[in-house]
Amino acid sequence: MISVQNLWFSYEPDDRKRPNPDKKYALRDISLEIDKRPTAIIGQNGAGKTTFVRILKGLLTANRGAVTVMGEDVSRTTAARLARNIGLVFQNPNDQLFKKTVMDEAMFGPLNIGMGEGAARKSVMRALDIMELSDKLDTNPHDLALSDKKLLCIASVMAMDTDIIILDEPTISQDYVGREKVKRVIRLLRDEGKSVMTIIHDMDFVAECFERIIVFNEGEKLLDGGAKEVFSDAEMLKKAHLEPPYALQLAISMGLGEVCLTEADVIRCMMEA
Amino acid sequence: MKKVIVENLKYRYPAMKQLALDEISFEVEEGEKIGVIGRNSSGKSTLCQALVGLTPHFYKGTYGGRVIVDGLEIKHATVSEAALKVGIVFQNPFTQVTGAKLTVYEEVAFGLENMGLSRAEMIEKVDRALHLLNIYPFRNQNPFSLSGGQMQRMAIAGIIAMRPSIIVLDEPTSQLDPQGTEEVFSAMDELSAEGMTVVIVEHKMEKVAQYCDKILVMKDGKRAAFDTPAKVFSRDDLSELGVCAPVYTNICKALGKKEGAYYPVTLAGAARVLGARR
Amino acid sequence: MKSLSLYVERDSFIHRVDPITKLFYIFAAIIVPFVMKDLTVSIVCAAVSLILLAVGKVLRNAITVFACLFLIMITIFLIQALANINNATVVFSISGIHFYAEGMINGVKIIMRMTDMVAAFLILILTTKPSDLVEDLIRAGFSPRIGYVIMSIFQIVPHMAGAIDVITDAQRARGVETKGSLPVRIKAFLPLLGPVVLNSFMNTKERAMALEVRAFDAKNKKSFLNEAVNFRHAMAYRVLFVLLAVSAVAWRAGGVLL
Repeated sequence: MISVQNLWFSYEPDDRKRPNPDKKYALRDISLEIDKRPTAIIGQNGAGKTTFVRILKGLLTANRGAVTVMGEDVSRTTAARLARNIGLVFQNPNDQLFKKTVMDEAMFGPLNIGMGEGAARKSVMRALDIMELSDKLDTNPHDLALSDKKLLCIASVMAMDTDIIILDEPTISQDYVGREKVKRVIRLLRDEGKSVMTIIHDMDFVAECFERIIVFNEGEKLLDGGAKEVFSDAEMLKKAHLEPPYALQLAISMGLGEVCLTEADVIRCMMEA
Repeated sequence: MKKVIVENLKYRYPAMKQLALDEISFEVEEGEKIGVIGRNSSGKSTLCQALVGLTPHFYKGTYGGRVIVDGLEIKHATVSEAALKVGIVFQNPFTQVTGAKLTVYEEVAFGLENMGLSRAEMIEKVDRALHLLNIYPFRNQNPFSLSGGQMQRMAIAGIIAMRPSIIVLDEPTSQLDPQGTEEVFSAMDELSAEGMTVVIVEHKMEKVAQYCDKILVMKDGKRAAFDTPAKVFSRDDLSELGVCAPVYTNICKALGKKEGAYYPVTLAGAARVLGARR
Repeated sequence: MKSLSLYVERDSFIHRVDPITKLFYIFAAIIVPFVMKDLTVSIVCAAVSLILLAVGKVLRNAITVFACLFLIMITIFLIQALANINNATVVFSISGIHFYAEGMINGVKIIMRMTDMVAAFLILILTTKPSDLVEDLIRAGFSPRIGYVIMSIFQIVPHMAGAIDVITDAQRARGVETKGSLPVRIKAFLPLLGPVVLNSFMNTKERAMALEVRAFDAKNKKSFLNEAVNFRHAMAYRVLFVLLAVSAVAWRAGGVLL
């Protein structure tokens, strides 16, 4: 669905006359293919995760390398056209919200990519229902709590019904209940055959919802594989300044032989023993 | 010595029917670390504002009861007076930037300038705060050029540089990676060992359980529980309170393994109770 | 991030002069040529200000500003040369249009005064950090609140410009075309202004709280992280500038009386 070949990106502009040799690259030589598996990108703050997804979305342009989304070359199209295929929930909800009511905010994307009024309304109401925001249609998004703003951002992108959805830190400031809502949405989207990607710091959440994990470190792709494979590579995780999910940490410190990623895994493993 | 005394605190926002804070009472000893947990809009942020006087001085509305912080009754002090005793780190670090300083270093020193400290004292305190929060390398950058996580660290540094006897943090690690979160909690640990009292709102239960001496659970503006992490997380009615225990506690609960009267709440505790096997 | 400040970092004598003394200079540089009304005085004052810019190693940076003023200056000169009320002596004519001596002299006088005034302000603006000026004013008893407002303009205006980029991205991300022909771009840009201005207003209350929780209104005297620019002969220069202004006024008043 997405193909990335030898991608390089720097925030420092090249001098027009001579290329800047000591330019710092935010992303270095990234190559990967995104398929339908729910995929989490993990890594330290500043590892290049957000930069990477902004390139996929067409909001930033790569210096070198090729990116295609659903067969379309990102460098030959505009972010507006890409929006039909790929949705991005921004990290900071305050950067994404700009309409006066919850309803207008959620309708904005679907109407812009050419969904009919009726279809858009149906899609929006479904998304807002899932997020339990349908009783706040006339509220100004800026009056919502931060956690609800984030859920509104997710609903607004979900309503656009794109084949690919990227969630940048979807669980920010969510409480237990909000976290469960986000989990439900991710599973729902997966079941509908959409490709879901996320950037996230909550490793237990990753273990519960995502099959594939890509580890970024200082602008490079460090690891790419199944959740069990990645989380059991202690050395690489340490290099990326990450730690395994809490459940796995417990399993490791008890010396359980199996790679138990979640609470349920550990409990099952202990019961069997 | 009691550093925070909250007595029957009641507060209602203007034009709201429900009380945001409903008869809240609790006391905190010097150097204690208190974790505040609960569902969103259960009153955690409002409580933080009340502890530093933003409620009722900035947020008008119906106010009742007392908040006494380091001997100062908040209702009768200005926010600036209270700020010398109790510091607050807002949920959104962006709103904490003063917007009048061109570098991170100057931004962190802002409170110290208002306190009228000497230049030498300022430099010592700002340096320490920047090192403690690991943002010393960014000291010459423009505050608005920082990432969310760096801004969060700067906001904390700006408050701890002022050395208040109490610090209130409203979800200070929401934009930080696991290592950054750990660094903030261990910085708080270090400061509390020096006698600073810490009140921290946080959704990461494993960290709260590991670092906090007591936990205050808020529900619908009320105090639903106020006790040690082991006692709070051992309760059977957590889901009714809208909170979830740490992963370690949940596993021990499912397996029925207690340590004494309560379930363990930390990695070490859980490993001890469940027993290592090879 | 872009900054609104025009400060140019250089090592020069002028940079080491404290901001308040520079304000005194501006005061004298405006008063003297205006009250003396003499062409030579205007030329001398303009020359002094330009020389000071050169000493401050910022003459090049000042040229851009003067380039912008050039058109206005030419216009003033032509209007004066052709249409001053006192015009009597024709100096030369170009295809029937007469240029008069009185007007040309007056035109040069006005241009010199403008040059002097603009250069005097540029000395302050180009060689002084805004924060140094504001902090010095607060030390001299100016309200810290007004000082904050001045400083925040330097930060918050560029930040609002940044906010436009942020919202543009939010719109592009959800299918708004912001690239292409001018009408397309204008159509995408106009709706942005509302939210940007609105957001910055909503931040005002939060900003006020941010200041208070950092003890902005504490009763004690403020101190400053940055040391005041310590200029040894500040007082002598300030007195000199006041004396110059006062004697110009006195000379003029004397002239009128006689």
